[in-house]
Amino acid sequence: MDLTLVGQGLLSGVLFGGVYSLMAVGLTLIFGVMRVVNFAHGDMMVWGMYLAWMLATRAGIDPYVGFPVCAAVLFTLGWAVQRGLVHRIVDAPHEMQILLMLGVALVLENAALVAFGPDPQRVRSPLTASTLWLGPLFVDVGRLVTFGVALALTGALWVFLGHTDLGRRIRAASDNPYGALVIGTDVGRVYAIAFGIGAACVGAAGALVSPILPFQPAGGLSLSVASFNIVIIGGMGSLLGAFVGGLLVSVAESLGAVFLAPSMKELVSFSLLIVILLLRPAGLFGRRAA
Amino acid sequence: MTGRRPSSPVSRRTVLRGAAAGAAVLGFPLPLRAQAPVIKIGAVHPVTGPLAEPGQACRLGATMAVEAVNAAGGIKAMGGAKLELIVGDTQTKPDVGRTEAERVINQGAQILMGSFDSGSTAAMVPVAQQRRVPFLVDIAAADPITANVAKAVKEGQQKVQYVYRNFPTGSSFGARAVRYFTEIFAESGVAPKRVVLMYCNDLFGQNAAKGFQAGYAAAKPAWEIVDVIPWPEPPQDLSTEVSRAKAARPDIIAPITRPASAQLLLPELRKQRVEVMGIVGPGSPGLYEAGQLAVLKDDLEYVMSAVPWANFKNPRTQKVAEDYFKRSGGKTFDTNSGYSYDGIFVIADALERAKSADADTVADAIKKTHYTAGLMQYAGPVIFNELGDNPNAVTTMIQILGQKPVAVWPKEAAVQKLVFPRPKR
Amino acid sequence: MTVPRVAALVVVLALAALPAVLSSYAVTVFIFIFFYAYLGQAWNLVGGYAGQLSAGHAAFVGLGAYTAAMLSMTLGLTPWVGMFVGGALAAALGALIAYLGFRFGLRGFYFVLLTVAFAEIGRIVALNTDAVGGALGLYITFTGNPRQFQFQDNRAYYYVALVMMLAATALVAALERRRFGEYLKAIREDENACEALGVDTFRYKLLAMVLSSFLTGVGGTFYAYYLFSLQPNAVFGIPLSVEIMIRPIVGGAGTALGPVLGSFILSPLGELSRVYLSQGAWSGLHLIVYGVLLIVVVLFFPQGAYPTLLKLGGSMSRSSPKPPHRI
Repeated sequence: MDLTLVGQGLLSGVLFGGVYSLMAVGLTLIFGVMRVVNFAHGDMMVWGMYLAWMLATRAGIDPYVGFPVCAAVLFTLGWAVQRGLVHRIVDAPHEMQILLMLGVALVLENAALVAFGPDPQRVRSPLTASTLWLGPLFVDVGRLVTFGVALALTGALWVFLGHTDLGRRIRAASDNPYGALVIGTDVGRVYAIAFGIGAACVGAAGALVSPILPFQPAGGLSLSVASFNIVIIGGMGSLLGAFVGGLLVSVAESLGAVFLAPSMKELVSFSLLIVILLLRPAGLFGRRAA
Repeated sequence: MTGRRPSSPVSRRTVLRGAAAGAAVLGFPLPLRAQAPVIKIGAVHPVTGPLAEPGQACRLGATMAVEAVNAAGGIKAMGGAKLELIVGDTQTKPDVGRTEAERVINQGAQILMGSFDSGSTAAMVPVAQQRRVPFLVDIAAADPITANVAKAVKEGQQKVQYVYRNFPTGSSFGARAVRYFTEIFAESGVAPKRVVLMYCNDLFGQNAAKGFQAGYAAAKPAWEIVDVIPWPEPPQDLSTEVSRAKAARPDIIAPITRPASAQLLLPELRKQRVEVMGIVGPGSPGLYEAGQLAVLKDDLEYVMSAVPWANFKNPRTQKVAEDYFKRSGGKTFDTNSGYSYDGIFVIADALERAKSADADTVADAIKKTHYTAGLMQYAGPVIFNELGDNPNAVTTMIQILGQKPVAVWPKEAAVQKLVFPRPKR
Repeated sequence: MTVPRVAALVVVLALAALPAVLSSYAVTVFIFIFFYAYLGQAWNLVGGYAGQLSAGHAAFVGLGAYTAAMLSMTLGLTPWVGMFVGGALAAALGALIAYLGFRFGLRGFYFVLLTVAFAEIGRIVALNTDAVGGALGLYITFTGNPRQFQFQDNRAYYYVALVMMLAATALVAALERRRFGEYLKAIREDENACEALGVDTFRYKLLAMVLSSFLTGVGGTFYAYYLFSLQPNAVFGIPLSVEIMIRPIVGGAGTALGPVLGSFILSPLGELSRVYLSQGAWSGLHLIVYGVLLIVVVLFFPQGAYPTLLKLGGSMSRSSPKPPHRI
């Protein structure tokens, strides 16, 4: 077996894992706090990508600089979706929640289609054109930067949830909504903020990934499915799980592409998903499901 | 700005059509308009959904062709009858394709055209055969679409073949591409040995790849396919696939892509410094469209692809292409718009010879077609063989030169000289 | 109780008489209403009554369809028999998924993901298996020969689909009244309590899934012989699973008439919004309408159309489910 190829596969897998992690962090936060399955996740990310594209083409702002703007816009969207829609059905059966987010997904995807057309787009950034060479192995600079930002973002979220007042209230509301109510937390507001933060993460992820992945309105579904995979494997509600899950799934797919037919690499992640679901549904780092 | 589509305001016509549709759904026939005879053609394409881009191109091509036919006086053999297009949207779903075919027939379509993706097209075939409506497939590659109908007629299970196709079949793409490869290498006086085939693992890509490999096995050329690397479409990451390709030490990369995967593949090939004599595609979208050029720029320069292409040596083609560029918001007149455009003209030509809109007469006229005024590059006149396919519908090797796609092979179709091997960066 | 029976009979007779006055286009629209109602009803058994949401039911459609088509194309076996073989294979897959899921205690969202994973694996396998046509899929020759489960006249398909929908609905209505149905409903309301009371929840959930997947698999054959081509992305894909789930949920999951009502609401709506709104620059607007409608239904009619209508009608029906209180 060509060792260079395997080594490159590993390296590419780890770097691209940063992208996957970024995608998954927002999803895991929303589920961890509210037990809401955000089926519109992929479509929100696509909107993050298009926002970054608009910033780049209309205002000339590089996505690596402009991503906070995308995050802010998506935060507002997420907050509004939670406050206006999800909040009302928090007690309804699961299938209602899934349907609601599916409806949101349909609206988002087709609003993007009407607004931007069906062609795939990509953002050009000077960073993505360069590569570093470590001997025979190459490192894609764009992905390296994204990896770094994913790490930083996850770390920042960790700090926020663990050490700030608002963060602690969010965790309290997720652990025990009634208890939190009792001690005076405005649970509704907390949920809305948490959803907003989750959406902001997804928006940032979209922006940072826009120079790397071509995107089109119909791409939301496969992004959602890939994100769910990662989050389940890593553990719902666990930031560390989302990060490690992203790396794991990416490396597994990459090695799958090296050893098997690359078109089967999704088979690897789905099989991994089934194994995790059966043996340890809480995922690698998740808390034991209630 | 790329991505803008033509606007189509809701007009009185649309409202009237809507009312007509409403009445027609309930089965009440409406009185025919007491004017010059009109022949309605149902054009059904995937204008929304994942194939919206080519679907909208097809619809625009058909619309422009109908306008052109009418401007030239309509169907003269039927007293100047005008053509009218009734459009449908398959959403790339077979059940919607079937329903739309039924709907346009219900609104008076006497001939069907469509529908780009093989699933919806296959779902429309039974409608054509059940309702006895001639169906010209303008674009769809799966061989069984017409072959199955021919078989049913031959075995006596169906009386008449109503389904014909004016587009290269999936199997013909591959054989011709292999031929072009060999000829191009010979013409350039170089002998690349190692070809790596990389393709998107969806319906089109898999079919084209299989055709290419089958053609390769049959032709036994001097060059060799040393690795075959499919990826799931749409891909998120192709770095490992490209690493694998690089490890096979290729002289040529032969990609079969879709627009999204091409946007990932070509920069990746450059980034990983995959040194090759050329990137020569057996034929796929994603390697020549205006939108792709805008995004990929230099990465597309010198890339070749064997695609069904318009004959730009024909001055009429130039004019239509310019019109199309304006009306589509800057898109190239290519495979999709072109074959839909020609499809309407083939139908018009059949109507001229049939002198009536009767289904069996028209089907017979289509079968006997010998049309020479097509805008696409053909290897002869448009004719239909015993399967209902046009054996003269062929591909042309185009190359991106000066950031424009131009025909470079075969010689009789070439508008510019091909550049191979590509210059070192 | 006889008034609803008479009403039902009148409706059935009316549906049976419709093809005589409808255009072929309208007949096609009804065929899809009936067909998706049938699939939704099959889903209803496990997703509505037993409360185990499956978002991967397309896997059963795919398996049933490919089986019947392959048997016909390679062995010449008539699809009238092939559909039951397909159904049996689909039931076996359903049993496997149910066994794995329920034995390992997967509930709610985790079970949903398991079903999605299996459907996706099915899709990828079909995509990469040349013997079943790979990505190009299978293409069935249209002969119009009834022995091959094909008809020259669209109206014949109408009656087949109508019978399928009525049979499935009758089956579900019958099961609902028996102990099986009561057990399923109890399991949906509170599975832990059921287990505490000694009910073999695993067995009943498994049975529901097997029956559901069998019926869905049989439906796959109808799909194959009405649309004449099978592609892995279309027939195993998530969009089809969504179409299957949506109708019973909107119409009323866990009620016998829910999937039927849901189909009668959603199919014409999708049709109308596509016909009127899918012009040129507004392509995609109709799907936005679809999405907004979903949101509206979920927010204001969460139990689905049927129970809401019953409540409006003022009658207390014992088949109207209360949403369980979830934390």
